[in-house]
Amino acid sequence: MYATCVMSPHEKYVLEKAAGTNSPIREKHKRLFALIDRFDGREPIIDVQRARLFTESMRQTEGQPLVLRWAKALKHIAENITVYVDDLQLLAGRCGSDTGRYGILYPELDGDFLGENLTHLAHAEAARIIVRPEDLPVITEEIVPYWTGKTYHEALNKAIPDDVRRLVYNDPYGYSSKYLVHETSSLRASLQWVPDYEKVLTKGFAGIRADVEARLARLDADNPLDTLDKRPFLEACLITCDAIVHWARRHAVLAREKAAAEQDPARRQELLQIAEHAERVPEFPARTFHEALQSQWFTQAFSRLEQRTGTIVSNGRMDQYLYPFFKRDMEAGILDKARALELLGCLWAEIAQFVDLAISPSNRESSEGYAHWEAVTIGGQTKDGRDATNELSYLILESKRACPLHYPELAVRLHKGTPDRFLHAVCESIKDGQGYPKIFNDEEVIPLRLAKGVDFASANDYAVSGCASVRMPNKDTFTSGCTAINVTAAVEMVLLNGRTMKYGDDFVVLETGDPTTFATWDDFWQAYVKQQSHLLRNAFVVQGIINRLRARHFSGPLCSVLHDLCLESCMDIHTNEKIPGGFDSAFFDLLGYGTAVDSLSAIKKAVYDDRSVTMEELIAALKADFVGYEHIRKILERAPRYGNNDMYADSIGRDMERAAQDYSRAHAHVLGCYMDVRSISVTSNVPFGKVVGASANGRNAWKPVADGTSACQGADIHGPTAVLMSNYNSKNYDRKEREGRLLNIKLTPGTVAGEEGTRKLMAFLRTFCDLRLWHVQFNVVNKETLEAAQRDPARYKGLIVRIAGFSAYFVDLSRDLQDDLIARTSHETF
Amino acid sequence: MEDVQVTGAVTNIQQFSTHDGPGIRTVVFLKGCPLHCAWCSNPETQRRAMDIGTATAKCEPGCTRCLSRCPSGALRKEGDDLNVDKALCRSCTFVEAWQEPPCVLACPDEVFTAYGKKMSVEAVLEQVEKDAMFYRYEQGGMTLSGGEALFQPDFALALLREGRRRGLHTCLETCGFTDGATLLEACAELDFLLFDIKNLNSEQHRESTGVPNERILENLRVVRERFPALPLKVRTPVIPGFNDTPEHIAAIAAFLKGLHITEYELLPYHAYGSSKRHSLGFSVPDVERPSDEAMDALRAVVRSVLG
Repeated sequence: MYATCVMSPHEKYVLEKAAGTNSPIREKHKRLFALIDRFDGREPIIDVQRARLFTESMRQTEGQPLVLRWAKALKHIAENITVYVDDLQLLAGRCGSDTGRYGILYPELDGDFLGENLTHLAHAEAARIIVRPEDLPVITEEIVPYWTGKTYHEALNKAIPDDVRRLVYNDPYGYSSKYLVHETSSLRASLQWVPDYEKVLTKGFAGIRADVEARLARLDADNPLDTLDKRPFLEACLITCDAIVHWARRHAVLAREKAAAEQDPARRQELLQIAEHAERVPEFPARTFHEALQSQWFTQAFSRLEQRTGTIVSNGRMDQYLYPFFKRDMEAGILDKARALELLGCLWAEIAQFVDLAISPSNRESSEGYAHWEAVTIGGQTKDGRDATNELSYLILESKRACPLHYPELAVRLHKGTPDRFLHAVCESIKDGQGYPKIFNDEEVIPLRLAKGVDFASANDYAVSGCASVRMPNKDTFTSGCTAINVTAAVEMVLLNGRTMKYGDDFVVLETGDPTTFATWDDFWQAYVKQQSHLLRNAFVVQGIINRLRARHFSGPLCSVLHDLCLESCMDIHTNEKIPGGFDSAFFDLLGYGTAVDSLSAIKKAVYDDRSVTMEELIAALKADFVGYEHIRKILERAPRYGNNDMYADSIGRDMERAAQDYSRAHAHVLGCYMDVRSISVTSNVPFGKVVGASANGRNAWKPVADGTSACQGADIHGPTAVLMSNYNSKNYDRKEREGRLLNIKLTPGTVAGEEGTRKLMAFLRTFCDLRLWHVQFNVVNKETLEAAQRDPARYKGLIVRIAGFSAYFVDLSRDLQDDLIARTSHETF
Repeated sequence: MEDVQVTGAVTNIQQFSTHDGPGIRTVVFLKGCPLHCAWCSNPETQRRAMDIGTATAKCEPGCTRCLSRCPSGALRKEGDDLNVDKALCRSCTFVEAWQEPPCVLACPDEVFTAYGKKMSVEAVLEQVEKDAMFYRYEQGGMTLSGGEALFQPDFALALLREGRRRGLHTCLETCGFTDGATLLEACAELDFLLFDIKNLNSEQHRESTGVPNERILENLRVVRERFPALPLKVRTPVIPGFNDTPEHIAAIAAFLKGLHITEYELLPYHAYGSSKRHSLGFSVPDVERPSDEAMDALRAVVRSVLG
């Protein structure tokens, strides 16, 4: 996963753990580390209870409105699933087995092939997972037979027309992707999401239930549609409110049982407090910071029992909705910072134990290592547009720095008015080398939302969601998984007249002519735009089918009851109809962006401008994967590359994006949603690369393509300021058809060492804000990366290292001195 | 001639240089230096003329592509070893004309590196201003370094003047061994000055750098006197066997105290210029990096003098 390359405090923790020593940080955060010791390093286990209970209920409610069936299934789960109060924990509740890390199953997504894939998964190399032998029959005899023929992915596979389908799936059943046009909807019931936790904390489900009752009272009995559509929705909401409260209260019963048996008086007191909390929340408004965290966690955990949200529901703006509770308790003297840190640690430990299972082959590839993103957002602006930083923002930052896990994801919103004190703390945290926090830019996100018709208050209140997306609770209404197209493959298809090296000469995508007959760069470019538009044409068809089909397969009564617009309109969040007042933000990813830009730049420069390579030679070199064509590769690699603040390459990136925006502008409206250009790869830059042969930027066949909108591996040789400038140069600021752009930057710890380094990082991020870039995150790298750089210098050309008195590119140094530097860096780091 | 048209020799323009003045800076390395320090880590900046670095260890056995391309006959292959006659190489017509010689283009293994090119002030500032967005915070901007930037006085002064006109924050790194009037003229265009003091013993200074130190010390004194408000930081590279005793450092600190200078930084010697020294035919000094403990002890000496 992208953010885990280097984590110096984590490495420290691992080393200390191996050495059996207690670090000061462990001493300071005893409970957190004791909780982590219980699961860290253990293989996750699959818990089948949610799937079994969900299936049992769905079997009994066939024929009823889907939203009611879903609510009844949630009630069945709430009443029967095993509940847990973990030892040492101060928060109750989890969604499955308490033996350590665990995952749960969603057979409504993939029930037809669960049995086969779980057997395979048990032996998977990248992410081993335990399937208990006694559970396999439950899966193969109860769950799989019921869902076979009923799952969403089967329906989608059948619904996509053959000529489109061949670009999407690589097998008849739709298990594996072709990675030319890629769909992500069959992996999940919903896109990443942020529920309105504030509502739960301030109203409680009793208050929300009262809102539902009030809405029910406003139904028109003489309007048959109110009875047909709206009443079942509202009834489902009531059932769901009752279900989560019932589930929470079962934890209180268990906690009291455990308290009665507990010998240690201190722990007994803790258990009784847990019981009190579970009797109170989430039914009623939280009264304390501790209750607020418990209420939030119950809601978050129950939402996981409801549906598989792509990359998991996020934590939202925790420093905003928790702050009133924090402030009140601090002022009342019943909470101090140490206790607040302990409670936050308890939440992080629960979050870290949940594993987002990737069952299908394509899901496994595009989201390696069970990546999940319960993004916590801090900073930014208040609804009325003032700086939102508060003491809790700092405390959450501090708690994250203490936590040796890569959960939860911490995201910071920056804006022009972000105080220096907060930015300083953020930069210090980045320098820890954990890759956190990742940075989002209000100056880009908010105006884009406004341009698309969102009101100021909602736009100002966005939360980071998932990997690098954003959500506005009570405003966003689009939940369908989206598509991605492989733009590196599009370049290859121009060169091979509509074919790809991976799928052979018989698999013709779109013929755009023999490239050796193209007289000018413009001819080549026009052919490229045709290929890109053709992939988009197919992606748009797939998106249309997805939007229509999902409403028949998924329902989210919990997700909906927490949404003002759903409740008012009495519409399920997964409806295919327009929810009045909702913001429907769909997107498509251009994947392999940097690789495609560099390839096109190399072709333009070498073949058309300099005429140093002929088209025939180029194609022969690529087909041979450069074997015997090293000289050609050298020429190609000398072409301007994206990531160096050079408009030659950057303008190609800008034009690529613009062509995609033009396509969207002309064709998105019929789908009833925005279709905006995005570039967020998660780990799918690896599988997308596996279907593309050698590319004209010098990349070998089947190697990963560039991630997000980052520069190609090793292409950015003018330092991080040039990387930011290229990202800026390649954006179309006159177009609103744009969304998330993921950007990774590597720095060595020495480059930003000391107070001087922190100040430079601050200047860097202030400029990032001014440039209106969407997102950036840093790898402040050390030893391992430098060693990798020694083995593979070409890939790490741009890696800057700090040397006494000046900075230099690591690969420029001699072997011995590199060794010296590696030793020194590790000295600095550990 | 207008400042933008003045040309000079530059070896490198480095963006996001993080230890050459405040904020995010772009450092312009000018070619040529009056000193020839035995430990110099940027040896390619010492001579005023173009240099060709030859990393012969990268040479592929059996490859002879460069031999016939060399116009001055400086290259010979003996067995698998590539031998370079540095004197002949320097007489190369391409080198004299500041053009990239054919050997650089002929070699697929990047054995040859041409150091130095002629650039106008306009061209340099165009590069520097590429990062203008970043200079607005924390006083980022342009730093002139080298070599000794003032060894090309017309070019350096034109860069500083034109930089100032364009609103750039300007900084100079100097060895101090310059014409006094030029240095003062430069200071008038500076927002920040980094000044190296290496050794107060003039004889030792001459032995290891090629020049005595009197002019350097006098220049610092005059700069202090004439530009008391110019932010100034003095730095000393700590070189074992040359100036790494507490006495050496205490003497420098005492000198600075007399000039009311408080910003003083010690930089431990590092050998990161070794491969470049080797490729340019310089000897590589047999010196170890000072230990962290030794540096801490010297810093304590500085604190005891300067407070």
